[in-house]
Amino acid sequence: MDEDERARLAEFVGSRTPALMRVAYLLTGDRNAAEDLLQSALARTIPKWGSIRHADPEGYLRVVMYREQISWWRRLRRWRETPLNPADEPVGVDPSGGSDVRLAMRAALRHLTPAQRTVVVLRYYEDLPEARVAELLGCSVGTVRSRTHRAVTRLRELLPEVEMLEVRR
Amino acid sequence: MTDPFEHLIRSTLTDLAEEAPIVQDQLNGAERRVRNRRRATVTMGAVGTLAAVLIATPLALASTGSDEAPPAAPSPAGPAAVPSPPAPDPSAPTAVPPGVPSPGGAKQDPWQRPGVPGKPGEPGDPGAPGAPGAPGAPGAPGAPGAPGAPGAPGAPGDEAGVSGAPGVPAAPGVPSDPFKRDVPGVPGEPAPFTAPGAPASR
Repeated sequence: MDEDERARLAEFVGSRTPALMRVAYLLTGDRNAAEDLLQSALARTIPKWGSIRHADPEGYLRVVMYREQISWWRRLRRWRETPLNPADEPVGVDPSGGSDVRLAMRAALRHLTPAQRTVVVLRYYEDLPEARVAELLGCSVGTVRSRTHRAVTRLRELLPEVEMLEVRR
Repeated sequence: MTDPFEHLIRSTLTDLAEEAPIVQDQLNGAERRVRNRRRATVTMGAVGTLAAVLIATPLALASTGSDEAPPAAPSPAGPAAVPSPPAPDPSAPTAVPPGVPSPGGAKQDPWQRPGVPGKPGEPGDPGAPGAPGAPGAPGAPGAPGAPGAPGAPGAPGDEAGVSGAPGVPAAPGVPSDPFKRDVPGVPGEPAPFTAPGAPASR
């Protein structure tokens, strides 16, 4: 890669890193894991930069992140890690206001599997239709629907008192 | 259409996204990962190739079936090679003793040299000539035998009165086939009685 190409790549990474880091953080729920996921996706994208820079490099990078998050190899590596701070609570002030419901939902999201969490992020944060999610993840629409249904059901099971919390708020 | 629960999920995810850490210098870390991955790929490829060679070499040597060590490679700095007598080719067909022809006519090994033909056997001994026919026995019709030789004249005895032995009947005229049963010939005429001491007349 010559200097010109590397300058374009550096400009792309510098400008898109905050948005990509948000997605990575939502996918993983952990700061260190989000940084690792983004670097892994970038490491897979850099060798292909010559062929994707004129197309949609950010889309390619996002797809790599989505698939890397639910990949089997990454799951193995995730088991080897020992989180020292499982809660991963932010040190600073909670910008969300610290409501009970959102804190409970945030904790419940950590109990989802990577595949379920990825589908939830794509469906409810990216607002992508099921067909697009299936295309990005390389699976069928039925798989996306079933994963979404199981994820929501799991969240409802983890938050049985959400109605009470809503009333109390 | 939006479920309150789903709305809660959206708002929570939006709040979480705002808390995403701000990191810098992601490109350098990613490029370091690319270099490490490429180096690991090359290393693992070399290790795999070496392992394949190490595993395949003994198998290939064993499959050749020769127990001899492979010939040493000539050293460029070593002394000149001394011509050595040619070693016997292990793959050449080994000399085998002449094959014994199988009575069942088994297929002969094409690599086996034909056996030396056996020495012809000695001809069998001809049968002993048949004994002369017994006198007096009625024989089959055959050629009449020659008249018997007159008996040998007896030695002049000192005393008269002892008669001489009768003459031996002559052998059959036709020589007997050694492999056939002798046919007794017709007994010849008895030798005329000779008086003892008298010379036999012919």
